[in-house]
Amino acid sequence: MIEVEQLAKSYGFAQALKGVTFTVQKGEVIGFLGPNGAGKSTTMKILTGYLLPTSGRASVAGHDVVADSVAARRCIGYLPETTPLYGEMRVDEYLRFCAEIRGIPADRQRVAIGRAVERCALQRVLGKNIVELSKGYKQRVGLAQAIVHEPPVLVLDEPTSGLDPNQIVEVRSLIEQLGKEHTVILSTHYLQEVEKSCTRVIIIDQGRIVADGTQAQITAAHGGASLRLRVRGPAEAVRAQLQQLLPPDAAIVAEPPVDGVSTWRLGLPPTGADVAGAAAALVVKNGWSLLELTTEQASLEDTFRQLTGRQPTGAKAQEAAHA
Amino acid sequence: MRETLVVFRRELRSYFLSPIAYVFGILMVSVLLYYVTEATLQNGARATAEPLFGTLPFMLVLFLPGLTMRLWAEERKLGTLELLMTFPVRVGQLVLGKFLACVAYLAIVLLLTVGLPLTLGAYGKLDWTPVLGSYLASLLFAGSFVAVGMFWSSTTRDQMVAMLLSLVSLFVLYQLGNPQNIEYASGWMPAWLVDVVNGLSPHKYFVSIARGVLDTRDLVYFACFCGFFLYANALALEARRTKG
Repeated sequence: MIEVEQLAKSYGFAQALKGVTFTVQKGEVIGFLGPNGAGKSTTMKILTGYLLPTSGRASVAGHDVVADSVAARRCIGYLPETTPLYGEMRVDEYLRFCAEIRGIPADRQRVAIGRAVERCALQRVLGKNIVELSKGYKQRVGLAQAIVHEPPVLVLDEPTSGLDPNQIVEVRSLIEQLGKEHTVILSTHYLQEVEKSCTRVIIIDQGRIVADGTQAQITAAHGGASLRLRVRGPAEAVRAQLQQLLPPDAAIVAEPPVDGVSTWRLGLPPTGADVAGAAAALVVKNGWSLLELTTEQASLEDTFRQLTGRQPTGAKAQEAAHA
Repeated sequence: MRETLVVFRRELRSYFLSPIAYVFGILMVSVLLYYVTEATLQNGARATAEPLFGTLPFMLVLFLPGLTMRLWAEERKLGTLELLMTFPVRVGQLVLGKFLACVAYLAIVLLLTVGLPLTLGAYGKLDWTPVLGSYLASLLFAGSFVAVGMFWSSTTRDQMVAMLLSLVSLFVLYQLGNPQNIEYASGWMPAWLVDVVNGLSPHKYFVSIARGVLDTRDLVYFACFCGFFLYANALALEARRTKG
């Protein structure tokens, strides 16, 4: 449905995209993750025809976004980050305008608008001026605009940013429903959003794709797992012994011992060696007692932080302290 | 064509959804009528609408930049430009729709002054040919100024900048066509240069049509003038796609 090949974009001297390649199949819901300025919006703006790429190519539903731009745009519903609305218009006027300019024939406009209104639950505000609406409603009007022509592809740039928690839940469930009928690309800062509604994740950082796959694939490939164990025994001796189980450069994180019980977290090497078994045997051999032994798979959040070296919005501060 | 019409309708409606249509319209008509009334009374009321159309060009220089400055700059600031430019519509269609809507709005404002010639006609013997010519000339003239103002608006997101640039350009164009300046310039400039400079200004053609003589060359001039600036406008918008 969407093919992007070696896409690059420079603004003057700043390179926003440095060769991005990915494809999206019909029916996928892609979560675009990345810190601010990573190139998410730029990619979306190129896909929707708002910007021209500096090099590389992209096509939507078989139409090249540069050579055959108008045809490509016809297949896309787009909600930009800024939620572009004409404040002085009423909701129904605005949606009619969008339906008309998209070329929906007059006899089908009523049905098309009615459908979009119903899906976005806008019935109550149809006659209101857009400027009077709450932010959540404005966002839904923006979404209704994007789906009024039933496009095969939906591009949503941070559809939930700036909304309150209730509104986020509403918009998110709406996106989830839309994902059943449309191919969706959405960008976001909220990792929970991706975990809930996306079938695939693309993590982008400094203009490059750093990970692409399902959440499980990404966390397995990039996040790795860690071993957490609590041991009653002399802390220094325990550390020395544990260190021998791991490659010399592997990190061991310790929490301060309480009542002679020390807590350790070992990053597991991707080789799949049975570190857990070895650690258990080691503790028993030394005559210490093993109070806890857990293998933890890295979360998407950990992986994101590891890949982009920065902190995603909404990450819990105390977790960051451990990293 | 259909797309242009959709943009045209939305634009024209939006004038009347905001105070700007009313403020601009009332201001323009009041100032015009004030000057006309004054001039007419001083001259001893001749049955002619000349003062109305003599004042109009300069009024447009003063007021029009305030109307056109927002045309694209505001769309860009609100982000609706991104919406328009990702619709399956060519930029030329957007430009044309917006332009025609602004001209249509000005036509409505011009119609509000029709009471003056009607009054004159009722009390004296008014020659309607130059009056009708003047209305047509005013509309074409206003259109050419709209094309200039709209072009400047497409080059910036700052409405103030767009207004100042339009004000200066319109003032220069106005002065280039001002008969007094032409007379003065003829004293020391070669005649061909005077002709060229004068020929650039919509003001010259306004004066020509306003006399009530419809010359195809004048119409062609207005079509070319507007076409040039509308094309530049579309190019300026397309250039945004590269610059971001």
